[in-house]
Amino acid sequence: MFWSIIAANKRKTVLLIAAMGLFLVLLGAAIGVFVAGDYHPYAGFAGAGIAALVWAVMLLASLYASDSVLLSISNAHQVDRDTYPQLYNLVEEMVIAGSLPAMPKVYVVDDPAPNAFAMGKSPKDSHICVTAGLLAVCGRDELQGVVAHELGHIMNRDLLYMTVAATMLGSMLLISDVFLRSFRYSTMRYTSRSRRSSGKGAVVILIVSLVLAILAPILARILYFSISRKREYLADATSARLTRYPEGLASALEKIGGSTEKLVAARSVTAPFYIVNPTKQSLHDSVFATHPPLSARIKVLRSMAGGAGYLDYMKAYIQVTRKRQALIPAADLKGAGKVEIRAANAAGPAAGLTAAESRRRAGDIMRAVNKFAFVTCQCGLEIKLPPEYAGDTVSCPRCKRVHSVIRPGAKATGAVLSASAAMNASAAVRPESVAQDYSGPGHAGVQQEKLNPGKWQTITCHACGRPYEISPSFGSRKLVCSGCGSLILFSPASEAVHHKRG
Amino acid sequence: MAAGTVVIIVLAGIIVFGLLYVVATYNSLVGLRNQLKNAWSQIEVQLKRRHDLIPNLVETTRGYAAHERQTFDAVTSARARAAGAKSMSEISSAESELTGVLSRFMAVMENYPELKANQNFLALQEELTSTENKIAFARQAYNDQVLFLNNKIQMFPSNVVAGMFNFRPAEYFELEDKAQAAVPKVSF
Repeated sequence: MFWSIIAANKRKTVLLIAAMGLFLVLLGAAIGVFVAGDYHPYAGFAGAGIAALVWAVMLLASLYASDSVLLSISNAHQVDRDTYPQLYNLVEEMVIAGSLPAMPKVYVVDDPAPNAFAMGKSPKDSHICVTAGLLAVCGRDELQGVVAHELGHIMNRDLLYMTVAATMLGSMLLISDVFLRSFRYSTMRYTSRSRRSSGKGAVVILIVSLVLAILAPILARILYFSISRKREYLADATSARLTRYPEGLASALEKIGGSTEKLVAARSVTAPFYIVNPTKQSLHDSVFATHPPLSARIKVLRSMAGGAGYLDYMKAYIQVTRKRQALIPAADLKGAGKVEIRAANAAGPAAGLTAAESRRRAGDIMRAVNKFAFVTCQCGLEIKLPPEYAGDTVSCPRCKRVHSVIRPGAKATGAVLSASAAMNASAAVRPESVAQDYSGPGHAGVQQEKLNPGKWQTITCHACGRPYEISPSFGSRKLVCSGCGSLILFSPASEAVHHKRG
Repeated sequence: MAAGTVVIIVLAGIIVFGLLYVVATYNSLVGLRNQLKNAWSQIEVQLKRRHDLIPNLVETTRGYAAHERQTFDAVTSARARAAGAKSMSEISSAESELTGVLSRFMAVMENYPELKANQNFLALQEELTSTENKIAFARQAYNDQVLFLNNKIQMFPSNVVAGMFNFRPAEYFELEDKAQAAVPKVSF
């Protein structure tokens, strides 16, 4: 835990809120005096009062509603253990590793570009979002590195400041937008109807909107400057320490940086939240960058030879960036013990995917998150049905076979894509339906399946392991496995039927 | 003021401070012990989860590799021993053995490519990997807590209070993978 970093983040948040309040009150007072100063001696105070009210609303919004607003403009969908067990597991692992007081909510962002971000004001109430593109291209270790990085932001309270700042900035942009619109509307009205315009009101609105329009980008710049760029390095250090495997994050960053997909959901307001800046993929350092250059971050992680602890990260950081100033305050390093680097886990499923493949997988992940039903036809076609699809059966557009539709949720779908394989995790474990004889595929291919009328049934093709959910209305006596072409025959209850390889 | 009063006041002050110190130390010792219990229950949850996963894993894989009888038996008996372990040293040796047996089991199952297409198996594999990770992380947290508590119990002056109220140093939870530690024998 970086106590001094946490304290600095809290201090900065208070400072930002105060500065914003002061600025708004002064602006309000100036407007008040300008508009009505001639008639009312207290117009300045009234303006200041209104501005203070605006400020209070903004503050409340940023403290209580910001998460949901920022999540919804980022197109994030909440997932649970059943929708994406691996992601959920990884978050749980890191929560245990970092001893967080509560489990963050987990979201998947509907976007093929690989990226991730976290939100939340305190570790007790936090959110972690990854894009579908990230899930598609990253293996287990890489995903773990990214999740741990985001958890690092949560633990260091980086997000408190960023959330408040982004909401303040966002509402400022909104106000300026409203003013500009109202100005356009009022000029239209004034020019079309009559010339008896008071003039002054329109001018004030114009000035205010222009001031805000000019100020907002400048404020955005200041905001970006004030967000410490060290925070990304610090979150990387936390990630290495929690996962004890720096290479995972390094290789994930490489994949994120190397992707040519552009993140659609990212706005300039939300840009600082992401693990890699989604708006500008600059390899070089720049004064205006919200993130340190990716190449340096990867290099630091790869130079951690001795161990995965904070001290090792510090050493690597100094070696790579040649900066003298300490990354981690000495007070926070007290008692930072030695942490060994662990061995790699089994590589994830996604190795050497082409761009088209990864985009397709990202799309399938998103469909699964959005509760699409997946039906694999015997002819090899995978039919993806949106949740709005009302019918219980669907006929294959290629071969016209009729399938029953198994809705995701309580029941796991039969054949699912490999990326969302683990979605079946808990629901799919039904050992009793794995054939009763343990002869296996090598032994003459005898597979006996009894059909229980009126009941759901899980069967697995012995030749290739593809699982099927047999619906109560399943009428046929045979099934051709779409994975390997084997024929599986069904006997109603007692009747024994053998099956031969098709 | 007489010298006697001064002495009495000083003595009373020392006694009051001493009592306050004892109360504070006792409370922090109890707090540490409770945190330790909490950390231990985290480990137990994960160990239990691993025990629950094993029968499913065996059932799912048996259809594919029925003749790997020894491997299945090894896993099942290691699980039974781990589930029956009571004391800390028993648990830690039985669970280390289970970790080793399981990693060998998964290595054997790598030889069956049909399994990699089985969704149940893939899901169970992910659950197992995650549970092993959670055990490792929970163990780290637990051992950190043990270090805090033991330091407090053994260091002066808190050791006096610990002795008065009979606090005992806690045991570390070690999981050594004996299979990995042993040098593999190669014979031609």
